[in-house]
Amino acid sequence: MSALNWVTLGVLGLLGAGLYGLLITRNLIKVVIALQILVKGALLALVAAGQASGQINLGQSLAVTVIVADTVVAVVGLALAVQVKRLVGTLDVKALSNLRG
Amino acid sequence: MTAFTWMIVLPLVASPLVYLAGRLLKRGEQTVRWLALAALVVTWVPFAFAAFDLDANGPEAVTLGTVALRLDALGLLLAALSLALGTLVVLYSGPYLAAESDQEKHYASLLAMIGVMIGLGCAADLFNLWIWFEAMAVASFLLVVFHHEQPTSLEAAVKYVVQSAAGSVMVLLGIALVLSQTGTLDLAAIREAAPDSRMMLAAGALFVIGFGVKVALVPLHTWLPDAHSQAPSGISAMLSGVVIEAGLVALLRALGALAGVSASWGELLMAFGALNMLAGNLMALRQTQVKRLLAYSSLSHVGYMLLGLGIALYAKESAGAQGSLFHMLNHGLMKGLAFLAAGALLYALHTATGDHRPLTVADLDGAASRYPLTALGLSLAVLGLGGLPPLAGFMSKWQIFMAGFETRNGWIEALVVFAALNSVLSLAYYAPLVNAVYRQKPSAAVREGQPLPALMTVPVVALSLAVIVVGVWPGLLRWLSGPAGDALLATFGMG
Repeated sequence: MSALNWVTLGVLGLLGAGLYGLLITRNLIKVVIALQILVKGALLALVAAGQASGQINLGQSLAVTVIVADTVVAVVGLALAVQVKRLVGTLDVKALSNLRG
Repeated sequence: MTAFTWMIVLPLVASPLVYLAGRLLKRGEQTVRWLALAALVVTWVPFAFAAFDLDANGPEAVTLGTVALRLDALGLLLAALSLALGTLVVLYSGPYLAAESDQEKHYASLLAMIGVMIGLGCAADLFNLWIWFEAMAVASFLLVVFHHEQPTSLEAAVKYVVQSAAGSVMVLLGIALVLSQTGTLDLAAIREAAPDSRMMLAAGALFVIGFGVKVALVPLHTWLPDAHSQAPSGISAMLSGVVIEAGLVALLRALGALAGVSASWGELLMAFGALNMLAGNLMALRQTQVKRLLAYSSLSHVGYMLLGLGIALYAKESAGAQGSLFHMLNHGLMKGLAFLAAGALLYALHTATGDHRPLTVADLDGAASRYPLTALGLSLAVLGLGGLPPLAGFMSKWQIFMAGFETRNGWIEALVVFAALNSVLSLAYYAPLVNAVYRQKPSAAVREGQPLPALMTVPVVALSLAVIVVGVWPGLLRWLSGPAGDALLATFGMG
């Protein structure tokens, strides 16, 4: 198996783990972690895409930019988790299901 | 730096200044409000220059460092929509949020979101497009959760953040696929180089899913009714009137780069359009809360826009796109008006008395007797959304339907009839609102309601006039929607 195939396998593995995490967990912190795993899969894909198209620099600089952007989203998610814990007293997403229909 | 880059830079620079002013100055609440308004009013100057430049010299490209920007008529339309609605919302939010703490956060995020949306319309590079899109999402997260002491706002924000973040990962994967296949990220260059391969088709699907979360394509819409109804009313107007449309522009730019990969993007958009119209209308019928009802009606209006765009891509004629983008403008005006008027009533009936209950349709009973202007504004907005002539919504829907019939394709004609029937169906939830406001005895909430601040009715009256004027003289906005429709086809390499 070539290096690129291994990387593709890694991307799919990370995406699968992230999606699985999103589906099974009800804890807000773990939801944020699952989202982070998903983004790490995309990062790996970007770096690999740069390598595959012969533009290693481009792929890596995209990846660094994504790390910044995605940290901001993670911070917002964690801040929400803190506020939910303060206000509702639990991190369980089930406690947050009053809006329906 | 040319005129249109100033249009992006000014709100983005003003945003942290407004925040600092609110934190550092005593009595910062008053200052931030007027500072934010001043920043937006000043931004209209480069907008005017950019509009004249575009008209005289055609699209202009600027590269600042690695940020590739290009202003075409589609970007100008998005800029006009976000600036117009943004200015009115800042004016409106002054009295609406007067009792809240930390207002500087609201105005700073709102300015940043407006600047970022103008930038999103001008993105000429796929990765830049994603960055603008993500920045817009982050600014809107902060705005949705402004009432962070309300558990329902937190719930709405959690749903919104998780779905948006998952969607943006899909877009990133799409970008990685495009980069690996073409070796470039410039939107025009991708369109030239795109191989007709399965990988590129997969990238297109990822873009549809990823951007589709923000556009609220059914079934990716579940965050929308919560976020739009729990945000402060001015922000609901922005989210419904501009943010989902900005997502739509982002989706179209990304698909435009992949125009050569599939010949059926038009059909795909039409299919989603039909689904959105039906699902939005059926869900709106069941709602008892006014803001949730309006949020679901946004779903069906995205459906009309998608229908027009799909027709344009199918027929390779710009008429459908012009109608659809005209509807985008009109929807911004009408839905902005509807949310601002409903928000004003929510404020007068509940919020001003320190009560955080949602506004229900039953609360509206007899509202016209005490709040005649606001009630008239709400009625005009919902009747316009329902497509009653001579209001704005009728004109743009008519334009989309005519474009559909001109294709002379039986399936598309059937789809247009379906859309017209949906329009009639939508009156089934708009009409009871008008009925409640005018024909019922005043409810207890209305009788005990607080008076409305005058500043809050100014945007409502302005938008009401706009909805009537555009309806009577639909040609007034043609300078925006006409070229934008052509620019959209050019994005797909058909113009």
